[in-house]
Amino acid sequence: MADKEKNILNRLYFIAGGMFLFALLIAIKLADIQFVEGDKYRELAEKNTTKNFTIPANRGNVYADDGSLLASSVPKYDIRFDAVTVSSEDFKEHLVPLSKEMGNMFNRPASYYQNVLRKARANKNRYLLLAKNLGYSDYKRVKQMPLLNKGPYKGGIIVEQKTVREHPMGKIGARLVGNEDRENPGYYAVGLEGAFHEKLSGKKGKRLKQKIAKGQWKPVYDENEVEPQDGYDVVSTIDVNIQDIAHHALLKQLEEYEADHGCVIVMEVETGEIKAVSNLGRSRSGGFYERLNYAVGESTEPGSTFKTVALTVALEHKVIDTATVVDTKDGSFRIYGRTISDSKRGGYGEISAARALEVSSNIGLARLIDDAYKDNPKKFTNQVKEWGLGNRIGIPIKGEAHPVIYEKGDDLWSRNALPSMSYGYNLRMTPLQILTFYNAIANNGKMVKPRFIKEIRSWKEEIESYETEVLHGQIASEETIKKIQEILKNIVKRGTGKKLYSENFSMAGKTGTARTEYANFDAWLKDKKYVSSFAGYFPAENPKYSCIVVIHKPSTKKGYYGADVTGPVFKRIAQKIFTDSPLKAEVANLDVVDPIFQNDFESYYGKVQKRFSKIPNVKGMAGMDAVSLLENLGLKVKLQGNGSVQEQSIPSGEKIKKGQTIILTLS
Amino acid sequence: MPQSKVYLKFDWLTIFLFFALVAIGWVNIYSASLDESATTFFDLSQIYTKQLLFIVLSVLLIIFILAIDAKFYERFSSIIYIVSLLSLLGLFVFGKNINGATSWYGFGAFGLQPSEFAKAATALALAKYCSDLGVNIREFKHQIRAFIIIALPAILIVPQPDPGSALIYAAFIFPLYREGLHFVYLLLGFFAAALFVATLGLGVVWVALGVLLLGALIYLYNLKRNRKKPPLMRYIFIALACIGFAFSVNYIFENVFEQRHRDRFNIVLGKETDAKGIGYNTNQSEIAIGSGGWTGKGWTQGTQTKGNFVPEQHTDYIFSTVGEEWGFLGSLLVVVLFVALIVRILYLAERQKGTFARVYGYSVAAILFIHFFVNVGMVMGLFPTIGIPLPFFSYGGSSLWGFTILLFVFIRLDGGNYYYT
Repeated sequence: MADKEKNILNRLYFIAGGMFLFALLIAIKLADIQFVEGDKYRELAEKNTTKNFTIPANRGNVYADDGSLLASSVPKYDIRFDAVTVSSEDFKEHLVPLSKEMGNMFNRPASYYQNVLRKARANKNRYLLLAKNLGYSDYKRVKQMPLLNKGPYKGGIIVEQKTVREHPMGKIGARLVGNEDRENPGYYAVGLEGAFHEKLSGKKGKRLKQKIAKGQWKPVYDENEVEPQDGYDVVSTIDVNIQDIAHHALLKQLEEYEADHGCVIVMEVETGEIKAVSNLGRSRSGGFYERLNYAVGESTEPGSTFKTVALTVALEHKVIDTATVVDTKDGSFRIYGRTISDSKRGGYGEISAARALEVSSNIGLARLIDDAYKDNPKKFTNQVKEWGLGNRIGIPIKGEAHPVIYEKGDDLWSRNALPSMSYGYNLRMTPLQILTFYNAIANNGKMVKPRFIKEIRSWKEEIESYETEVLHGQIASEETIKKIQEILKNIVKRGTGKKLYSENFSMAGKTGTARTEYANFDAWLKDKKYVSSFAGYFPAENPKYSCIVVIHKPSTKKGYYGADVTGPVFKRIAQKIFTDSPLKAEVANLDVVDPIFQNDFESYYGKVQKRFSKIPNVKGMAGMDAVSLLENLGLKVKLQGNGSVQEQSIPSGEKIKKGQTIILTLS
Repeated sequence: MPQSKVYLKFDWLTIFLFFALVAIGWVNIYSASLDESATTFFDLSQIYTKQLLFIVLSVLLIIFILAIDAKFYERFSSIIYIVSLLSLLGLFVFGKNINGATSWYGFGAFGLQPSEFAKAATALALAKYCSDLGVNIREFKHQIRAFIIIALPAILIVPQPDPGSALIYAAFIFPLYREGLHFVYLLLGFFAAALFVATLGLGVVWVALGVLLLGALIYLYNLKRNRKKPPLMRYIFIALACIGFAFSVNYIFENVFEQRHRDRFNIVLGKETDAKGIGYNTNQSEIAIGSGGWTGKGWTQGTQTKGNFVPEQHTDYIFSTVGEEWGFLGSLLVVVLFVALIVRILYLAERQKGTFARVYGYSVAAILFIHFFVNVGMVMGLFPTIGIPLPFFSYGGSSLWGFTILLFVFIRLDGGNYYYT
């Protein structure tokens, strides 16, 4: 029996001991989790339950120079509908009125919305799109509609707010302003938006939040919280009116000449402020839209507009003079095994250097430059580079193309390189660079940097302001500049640009017509492609604006010469700017006082200031003055006739009784 | 003896431990289900309010249980057992499906889970059987009958499906062992469990090879040591039985188990690591406990708890709230309280003079222990996810009342002992 007792006791101990061991195992595991691996788990818990939320900053606006908005961020709302959360009574009751109001608002039959809503309910659609991109007031209106006004749980309304970049001026100048990357929301690469993205976007804020029940996050207030800083506004140099003019002038010409693409830049001569940039490219459907920033991004052979540069170099080096005679033969000339030709049939014969530029003679320029620089072509190319035309200008906008100026020693250099350069081939430049040079001519030799931005400001103060930057204080002597200015004026008067000549206002500039895509010359001969351009400034005497127009691949059937294709755009812009600029006629001495008027006023004023107890003598006073005087004394006044007082029904000196009527006879 | 002294004979220490656990449990349920948007405390839609109501009702239940004559439980144990089996059977017809298992009778917003009450009924029936004068658990035919009593409810619970609750019935091997079941059965149980894990972990082929190798080694060892030739047939039979077991485990695992069950085992065995998907519960629960440290983050301050990262935190995973908010010390206190309760029950059971109360007491201790060990093991990632509640802690009326009945019937039996025998 004792043995049995012991046996049983052993069994008890075995069971209790076993359980104790398991309990110990649990305690050990507990210690392992909480101490050995505790740090790991604590870190995981931290990561799990707290999250840094970024608070977006408001993006700044882009303004035109007069303060009108070019780009601004506005909230937009998408309204969706959860057809499941709504109770069936509510749905039945409100379906018809809701559909009716939606129909009214969005110009659709109410039955359309009834169908859509019913279908969503049948398909258990919890995310039906009702309306997209609503402005704030429209959003408010939708929110008040029957059923939807019951809120997200009972009414099934789902509101998604997003920020959309709006361009109040429409698509005009869109390339320069830039836009949000379509595939990459919140990212701006191009135009002013891209260039000043950092300034515009501001600084995002940061807030630590902790997860609480039901998927909600509660802010944890700590010292690491960062308030968002709204982005700065960018005030551009763009003039809305000029931009509008440039856009439409270019568009009209592109359409008329069925061209591929083109651009216009208008620059203020003195300051270098870009007043308009229009870039239009052909869309697949045939229309034109702001496609690429050709004005700064496309570096091509400029053609004849470069002749001005070449002649300026030669004149400045005094290797020729405007009167230097060059023989352009019969319009065809062989040089170093290649034939150059002029556009005029039969040629220009012997002409002066100035005339060669006026008529844009390729042979003239080629011979002049080649004669002068063939032994030292570097002297020519170095001068061009010294003016900065070999490098990018360095504008803040992304995508400025590199210009190419070859020089002796380069792989591609040949004896033919120099003569072809003289008429604008064998080198590449962007329209903006060409314009910068012409602007320097207009600005009497002072080359300023084109600039797009006036200032950067927050809503209350100026943060940064941009001054005119001088690239080259004096590119050539005054004498040379004057000569070139004279030739450019004459081009419009009697040279290649004479079609543009107008008696009402003066312009100066150079046409250009360059072959493009001619690497395969046989193919080019079958389908000739040109780049037509015009660079110049106006008014010719006291230049205010410089402007370049470039149009790529106009239909050769309609014409391709610079004077025909791009010249009219230039003229239209110049003309419009002139007619739109208000004439100022100042009036001097506005403050002079008429002595008679002053006298009258003083006698009246004196009488009013007196306190009357008796009826005054108002005879001879102006009618209106008498009335106000007498009424102020408490009398009722009746008038007969016009003019000054002749008679008064109550003579002066009588006591005033309030409410008495006095009749005045005027003459 | 005067009637009034009856109450003093209840084991107040056990009752104290019970209320301590229930109270701590509620405090943690409050934190785990706290809804900061709730307006009033007495809002019956709040989980912690409901649990409070369950606790109050369980006190009424306790008074009722203690008021009944102790003999009642012994006399009516068979009927209680049969009613319990019928209630499990009835689920196949009237059961309400919640979360994929038909384990509930629905009464409006509330539900009753008969498997929670079947444990107490089975314990009563087993105790009753063992206490029959003609029954000796050392005899094979009595063992078979005892096993049938235990297995019937488990068999009815498995297809609900609720394999976790069915697993609990393995606990009854302890009272049987106490009553004289041969040690080999316990060993067998452990061996089977080891084979089970090995089969899943290593694959059936390796297990078969291992069994053969081990058997051959033991046979050779015995052959060398003993003069008598060891019975070869017996060795072969045991080895084949083991291999057969391994194959059937493999078969059941691959064909009977559902993918979610397989996933749970695979995660514990380290075969799969997927913190976001199938292992999410355990992973989040470990993070909660692990981030608690020495003293925890404080009541209602647990970030994991507040963020609702641990699914079912107020029911099966309530221990993770303890770990996170009360830390190592708080968790250890809960472990100590449970161990103290179980040891106290074992002690009380051993001092019973009647077999009925003793077997019943051992059953209570074993059931509580298995629940506690498996649940806490699961919450800490020791075990695969087996959905059984932590006694007295986890939210739920059925589970709380089931354990209350289980425990207080024993307290009543213990209290009445001196009168009736």
